[in-house]
Amino acid sequence: MASAAIFPLEARGVSVSLGGHAALCDVDLAIDARRRVVVLGANGAGKSVLLRTLHGLIQPSAGSILWAGSTERPRAQAMVFQRPVMLRRSALANVRYALAVNGISGAELECRAREVLARVGLAKLADRQALVLSGGEQQRLALARAWALEPAVLFLDEPTASLDPAAAAEVERVILEIHEAGAAIVMTTHNLGQAKRIADQIVFLHAGRVREQTSAADFFAKTSSPEKSRFLEAELP
Amino acid sequence: MKHSVVFCVLVAVLLATFDAAAQAAKPSIVVASTTSTEQSGLFAQLLPAFTRASGIEVRVVAVGTGQALDLARRGDADVVLVHDLAAEEKFVADGFGVKRYPVMYNDFVLVGPKADPPGARGLGIIPALAKIEAAKAPFVSRGDKSGTHAAERRLWTEAGFAAPKGDWYRETGSGMGPTLNVASGMNAYTLSDRGTWLSFRNRGELVVLVEGDERLINPYGVMLVNPAKHPHVKAAAGQAFIDWLISPQGQAAIGAYTIDGEPLFVPNYRGE
Repeated sequence: MASAAIFPLEARGVSVSLGGHAALCDVDLAIDARRRVVVLGANGAGKSVLLRTLHGLIQPSAGSILWAGSTERPRAQAMVFQRPVMLRRSALANVRYALAVNGISGAELECRAREVLARVGLAKLADRQALVLSGGEQQRLALARAWALEPAVLFLDEPTASLDPAAAAEVERVILEIHEAGAAIVMTTHNLGQAKRIADQIVFLHAGRVREQTSAADFFAKTSSPEKSRFLEAELP
Repeated sequence: MKHSVVFCVLVAVLLATFDAAAQAAKPSIVVASTTSTEQSGLFAQLLPAFTRASGIEVRVVAVGTGQALDLARRGDADVVLVHDLAAEEKFVADGFGVKRYPVMYNDFVLVGPKADPPGARGLGIIPALAKIEAAKAPFVSRGDKSGTHAAERRLWTEAGFAAPKGDWYRETGSGMGPTLNVASGMNAYTLSDRGTWLSFRNRGELVVLVEGDERLINPYGVMLVNPAKHPHVKAAAGQAFIDWLISPQGQAAIGAYTIDGEPLFVPNYRGE
């Protein structure tokens, strides 16, 4: 697993404008190595845009993304989306392809591919076509592709949103194992129970602005703003 | 140590690219494209507008041009949007693509140290490369078989150096951003697409030395993967995406995308 030398990951005064719409406004936050950060907020709050901007898929209109104080974007990061693209080949070949694209070959490629498939519980399905796997299995395969590259930080954009509870629980298990192996986790979810299970830190977004960045325990124990109260009341029973 | 640095540099290409831009709505298409379009932020601007107009989600697999065409040949994508004219024309001629549509272009710039010891500044790209080679000034190449790498090799060949060799010529085997970082660290010359250069912050002493040469134009083409080769291709939805890209609305959206007030891509569809 990559070292902590790329942390903290910071957003400093980051604003993002998409199609004339201000998706993020003057965002400041910091993420340390091996954190489990969950980004919460209502639809349209800017959660996915924030993840994509941190990952480098979207350039800030203003401000900077800094990795250990540098604007140099490290490669030891990966992102998994709600509906990952499955290539028309076996589960094992999907992982092999990801490794090959990233310059890994030979015995190391084969060893890593099979090892991560086993870790995500797909060893027996290694030769099955990825496109016939269930939604949960496809998501675990996407996590395996990411894990194979040993990222220091893994971004997850609503990774269980379209899964049934059992499949979601399996995906959560894999996410926590990837964290145990040394990666920081930064994810979005609408599931507050999942946020409590996974997060040690919460970033709460409202209308493109960070309203709170605090420990998960404090976030769920304290009321700090009307927006947060409305968000939690709408989500919690 | 060098290996581990290169490995770290390479490691993140995957999911920046591999799973990018997938959301929940249906129907959806898969577009194989280049890291330059994804990482320049263009797709973040274009795709939501297309989805609003059509109801079709676009899921992007962003790799190098050669890899994108390989994915499309295997039927792993419905549409391919890349920048290597010769390879695109072969892709269509071989029956893997239905038709190539010109959609936009950007340009390359030669960047290098402000001091510019060989005196490349302001020259055409071919004499500028000849000066760099004659001085054995450090030059960093992507060396990754990308569209940018292919363009660089064509320019070197045109300058009379089909295979530059020596300590002064380094290949990173990685994307534009990491290559610019190496060039910045070495105070070396490199060929960059303008979009990545504009969004690149760690410039150090590097400045643009050569631009505007017509040889530096970098055209992008979009093609539907041939359903006759791969019957599962979502031909109607894929063609709808192409039709939108070359429509006045799509072309305007491409032209409207700027970084620091400077357009990154110039729309260039001129009709049949």
